[in-house]
Amino acid sequence: MNTFEFFNEHFGRHLVPIEGEPHEATHHALSTSHKLLKGTVSRLSSGWAIVRPGLSSVQLKLAATGLKYDTRTRIESFMEELDTWNGKEPRIFLMFDKAPVPISNVFLTVDRRLVRICSPAGVETFNADVPPPEDAGGIQKAIWKRKSFS
Amino acid sequence: MAKTVDKIKVTMSLGSPIVINGGYMTLDALLAGIIFDQTGDIEKAHSQIPLANSHGLWHGSAAIVEKTDMGRTAFVANLRAMHDLDHELIAKNKYGKVHRAIGLTRRSDFGAVMNSYKSFSAPEITWYATGDAAKVEALLSAVEFIGKRRASGYGQVVGLRIEDGDLDGITGHFGEPLRPVPVELFSGDKTALKADTAWRPAYWHPTNRAICFAPEVV
Repeated sequence: MNTFEFFNEHFGRHLVPIEGEPHEATHHALSTSHKLLKGTVSRLSSGWAIVRPGLSSVQLKLAATGLKYDTRTRIESFMEELDTWNGKEPRIFLMFDKAPVPISNVFLTVDRRLVRICSPAGVETFNADVPPPEDAGGIQKAIWKRKSFS
Repeated sequence: MAKTVDKIKVTMSLGSPIVINGGYMTLDALLAGIIFDQTGDIEKAHSQIPLANSHGLWHGSAAIVEKTDMGRTAFVANLRAMHDLDHELIAKNKYGKVHRAIGLTRRSDFGAVMNSYKSFSAPEITWYATGDAAKVEALLSAVEFIGKRRASGYGQVVGLRIEDGDLDGITGHFGEPLRPVPVELFSGDKTALKADTAWRPAYWHPTNRAICFAPEVV
């Protein structure tokens, strides 16, 4: 199963019909508007999501069923996921913003030594088992800082 | 009949810092890029690489470098709104038209953008491969610059050596991956780093990605 089949199976299919090539369906899910719980529509333009086998989590309160809605911050949720993840089944860590996440920035994380946080601006890649180096990205630094205070 | 496919070691000497920006820069990717530059034929570029190929996997390693210095560089690019743009090259909206016309009055429509890159210096860059040494040399000897920002002077090639090698371009002496290899095609050390990454050209295309055993990015 490639990146886009995994995304569609565990996240995208709850939002859009899966038609055509897998990467086209992924692009559709990430770039079109979806019904929110409050009745309005919105793209995935804020918050975060963690795609995992079984029940994926998302911060934005969508009307879709089959997803878990989680109000925690992205740092809290990513940190807990990395702490509890056994590394066997893949994950996709997503951060949303005004612009849609391009499919070229969507990567599976399959190894704790190469965690990838996907966002419209790019992909932050780090080793979750070592302290952040000087030039580390913001997510790795924030997770490590929070860990050292907890 | 002369033997044309063998294990080879390719070494390029660099005369200026190089920009790769977080990829593997495999030898097959470099050769495919050169073939495309010479022929303009994408099919040929992806099928006529003079390296061995098994199950779609080219026997060319990722670039191996010993960095002596690292830095950052930035370039400012200006969008010139009056230049002709081929609408066929631009994504269309659901009505089949380009998303919007480029305005000529608002700075945000045609202002400058800054792109930053990580660069590094290294005296040499090396690849291991299984392939046709003469054809590989013919392609690489025509190249003056490699990597990104070539037109700005980065990645200048000042020397090329092709020697007999002792590695096949896929696994190293200790079974470590020398390039991204899909999990099902890899017979080396299964404790190696795993990554979701492209393993065949076109490396930029997301559909060419799979879960691979892979070395550290350059």
